[in-house]
Amino acid sequence: MARAAEQKPSPILDAMRQIREDAASYRGIWSWITTVDHKRIGIMYGVTALGFFLLGGIEALLIRLQLSTPNARVLDPDQYNRIFTMHGTTMIFLVVMPLSAAFFNLITPLMIGARDVAFPRLNAFSYWVFLAGGIFMNASFFTGGNILHGELGAPDAGWFGYAPLTLNRFSPGEGVDFWALGLQILGIASMASGFNFIVTILNMRAPGMTLFRMPLFVWMTLVTSFLIVFAMPVITVALFELLFDRLFDANFFNVAKGGTPLLWQHMFWLFGHPEVYILILPAMGIVSEVLPTFARKPLFGYPFVVFSGIAIAFMSWGVWAHHMFTTGLGAIANSAFGVSTILIAIPTGVKIFNWLATLWGGSISLKTPLYFAIGFIAMFTIGGLTGVTHSIVPSDYQQQDTYYVVAHFHQVLFGGAIFGLFAGIYYWYPKFTGRMLYEGLGQVQFWLMFIGFNLTFQPMMILGLLGMPRRIYSYPQGQGWDAWNLVATVGAFLIATSVLIFIINVIATARRKERAEADPWDGRTLEWSLPSPVPAYNFAKIPTVHALDDFWHQKYAEDESGRPVPVAAGGSGEEEPEVDVHGIHMPSPSFFPLITALGLPIIATGLIYDPAIVAVGAAVLVVGIYGWALEPASE
Amino acid sequence: MGAHKTFWTRLLPAILLVAVLLLVLGCNNSDPQNTFSPAGDVARRQRDLFNIVLWPAVAVLVLVETLLVYAVVRFRRRKGDELPAQVHGNSRLELGWTIAPAVLLMALTVPTLSAIWDLGRAPAADALQVKVTGIQWRWQFEYPDIKDSQGKPLQVFDQLHIPVNKEIGAHLQSLDVIHSFWVPKLAGKLDVMPGRENRMWFNATKPGTYSGQCAEFCGLGHADMRLTVVAESEEDFQAWVDDQLKGGGSAGAKPGTPDLVSRGE
Amino acid sequence: MQHSPALETNTGVDNRKLLMWLFLASECLFFGSLIGAYLLYRDKNVTGPYPKDLFDIPFTSVSAFILLMSSVTMVLALAAVQRGDQRGLRIWLLTTAFMGILFVSGQAFEFTEFHRQGLSLSTNMFGTTFFVLTGFHGAHVTVGILILLSLFVMAWRGRLTQAESLHVELAGLYWHFVDIVWIVIFTLVYLIQP
Repeated sequence: MARAAEQKPSPILDAMRQIREDAASYRGIWSWITTVDHKRIGIMYGVTALGFFLLGGIEALLIRLQLSTPNARVLDPDQYNRIFTMHGTTMIFLVVMPLSAAFFNLITPLMIGARDVAFPRLNAFSYWVFLAGGIFMNASFFTGGNILHGELGAPDAGWFGYAPLTLNRFSPGEGVDFWALGLQILGIASMASGFNFIVTILNMRAPGMTLFRMPLFVWMTLVTSFLIVFAMPVITVALFELLFDRLFDANFFNVAKGGTPLLWQHMFWLFGHPEVYILILPAMGIVSEVLPTFARKPLFGYPFVVFSGIAIAFMSWGVWAHHMFTTGLGAIANSAFGVSTILIAIPTGVKIFNWLATLWGGSISLKTPLYFAIGFIAMFTIGGLTGVTHSIVPSDYQQQDTYYVVAHFHQVLFGGAIFGLFAGIYYWYPKFTGRMLYEGLGQVQFWLMFIGFNLTFQPMMILGLLGMPRRIYSYPQGQGWDAWNLVATVGAFLIATSVLIFIINVIATARRKERAEADPWDGRTLEWSLPSPVPAYNFAKIPTVHALDDFWHQKYAEDESGRPVPVAAGGSGEEEPEVDVHGIHMPSPSFFPLITALGLPIIATGLIYDPAIVAVGAAVLVVGIYGWALEPASE
Repeated sequence: MGAHKTFWTRLLPAILLVAVLLLVLGCNNSDPQNTFSPAGDVARRQRDLFNIVLWPAVAVLVLVETLLVYAVVRFRRRKGDELPAQVHGNSRLELGWTIAPAVLLMALTVPTLSAIWDLGRAPAADALQVKVTGIQWRWQFEYPDIKDSQGKPLQVFDQLHIPVNKEIGAHLQSLDVIHSFWVPKLAGKLDVMPGRENRMWFNATKPGTYSGQCAEFCGLGHADMRLTVVAESEEDFQAWVDDQLKGGGSAGAKPGTPDLVSRGE
Repeated sequence: MQHSPALETNTGVDNRKLLMWLFLASECLFFGSLIGAYLLYRDKNVTGPYPKDLFDIPFTSVSAFILLMSSVTMVLALAAVQRGDQRGLRIWLLTTAFMGILFVSGQAFEFTEFHRQGLSLSTNMFGTTFFVLTGFHGAHVTVGILILLSLFVMAWRGRLTQAESLHVELAGLYWHFVDIVWIVIFTLVYLIQP
């Protein structure tokens, strides 16, 4: 492509090149802004997602304060509707998905023996688009008037945005526009990420690493990425249809002209159900790595667990209308989806038994990552079982749209996904920061979070069965709901305390003198063969892989009874002195992912406020794309 | 270790769970929207179905949680422990714990499908027909077969009267956004949609006043979109009907309530 | 674009080619959803104008044919660059882009004609679903034209040699996909009337 020497001299390009050279040395803020290193991108994803976790958590606390007693006046209905909409949207799209992406980024290339992902700039682009989308959507809080007077502008039609409530007639104002456009932006980030990881995993594995020698977390990354690239287009179309109705007077959901609101629901849930597996599979992958390491034996039934993940992904396309059992689809549809939903419990349940068998007969080290993994199994079991009760269709007619559902999905998304992600944070923290999080504080966080979680959400099962619907800003006395709601609120504040403990742990750890070893947990997978923190080029020499859990086999051979015996010359790596790492060419840093990403929220803002701004955003986008296309990947 | 640990790992989970269940089942029957104290055939069938799945689910829960806690305690690493045997799997076991849940789950489909069809049938020919209209944020009930002297059907707001032990044929439609008609003690919910009629049958088998509320998020007034169903003897119901027809057929309407017909799309 | 030739990959397929195939697969779901909405709402119009009132099948057949033929010229462009024929590459790239422009112009003409006859996004279900579906398709063709013109400029500046033929191949994959989508749309929307 265009060689540096042949370009016309330009002060701007020179300055940019100077910044990029500085950035290549990994120092300063520019090095973060222009980074294409998967490890840095992963850290940015993680930190940003945790920031949104705090925001979503504050929204949750506001909800719980408002519901702690009957007829409370903490929030009025308008504020409440906006806060619960943003809580759900934030937790799903700005916390769990990006935290999973953080781990895909940090871990997957290391686990497959690669130096980076297939498309490093596309990777950076994914992150910047995510950040842009999150800021864009939350900016809507400020568009409702004086925020200090409690006048909020955020979307208020629920994270699921059912039509026709979301149409202009019933939701005037820009809130829903911010929601729909924000999700479109975030969808682009997810899809770019999905494509990147599929290509990386399929194409860039180290020699000898066949698909069935990949760590289970990599399998879950692959399966999740496929789900993303096939599910997101469906919601993209649904959101376009909604936007066309709102902005240009189309009729997709206009009943008067022949439209049907059911179309929205079908499309939303066709996306939505695979989406919940997108949310849980990465955490399941993490648990499948943590358990073997801390039990010191391999994952029980690795092929089975792989196939159950693939089965879940396929089956997830056939259950969507179980979110619509009460919409009156008819007995045939309800029967079909009832059966398919009952069936999807099978591959999900299988994993739990495989995890139990992994622990069984092991030599279990009770450290914080393991606590969170155990917590995952304990909570996900409950969540999965409540899911089975939902699949018993007619009893779902009572459960649907009640706090029983709220209990179910928090069980799997918080007790499940978030716990799994925290297991990952504690487990891999030393690999990327060079320090171990404090074990004592970690255990305090775990127990507080576990107890707080159960106090918050188990009462909600009862509340649902006692007839408390969802999405109500208040409830009267005399329903039998008061005490349980109060308990739930107390639990929520316990969770908040545990998150505070986590923050304290992170801050305290940053000041720790002791450095972490390369392999503090006696791990099984390739990332533990690298120094902590990992050098820019990852592997001094790309390894050749001979088995599943190759690193473990470098350290241990098995005797006749199958017990591991340490190998004399195995173990975690300092770089082999013979390899000259200066010959390794890594992709160059680049501005263009960020510039291109910036075009998107500008276009979105223009669509809401002023077409001229759309033109500006489009111009930025085009400049970014052409700059990206014409820039060499490395010099 | 010993007896103390055995208590924590084995008995405690079971005790906790049973306690929770007793709490659930023993919930105050007077809680107005308690799905565990049904007063109609539909709600009763739904509660019974839930009980069918609840006990196996609890059994699985106790099994899994106990095994989990037991495993963590029993196989905890102690000083000087050797590395454990590197067991990779056991096909028979894995097949077993795939097939066993599959069988259990397939068994559950039988009562489920049976209930879907029974509860989803059209209302009986001689059911009392009621048109249920949801509109932000009120409920309108119309009895097409009960007409006043001018032939206009009886229309009331927010409080539905029905005779006890009589099948009701409810026809649900919305004039604006999606709502959901839900009276937990009588029946599970069914959505109320614009441009499309949903219908369900239900009844009340005990006289009483049963409270319900909209169960599909519908905007600012969603939490306050409540309704009650008054189930009474045939005589009392007839007396109420006569009283309504004499009084102009708009019981329950607050002054200034807009004529719902003219507020249509 | 990567400066290095295709790195060794586990599948043997270049990273960028695999990416394009995945992208096109996701686009199948994108267009599938839009086509699904069109078919769902096909007979739900409360008022006209109706498709049979507006469609000019001969006219649309001509523009469909042009788009179809542009796939042939695209193949010729790829063949040219792969055998080192720079002049052929430029001619066929330009021809393909030109035929694409003809197609999009035909679409624009059709849109304005339908609008003149009373069909807009808000008129009925046909207006909504037709304009959105074919509009998104037209946008995809337009992006394709921009890509082809960019490739033409690169070729003009001598930067699109045999070694970089992958770029033409990828553009070709995209172009053929957009063409196939049109074949589906043309058949389901224009030709098969209920």
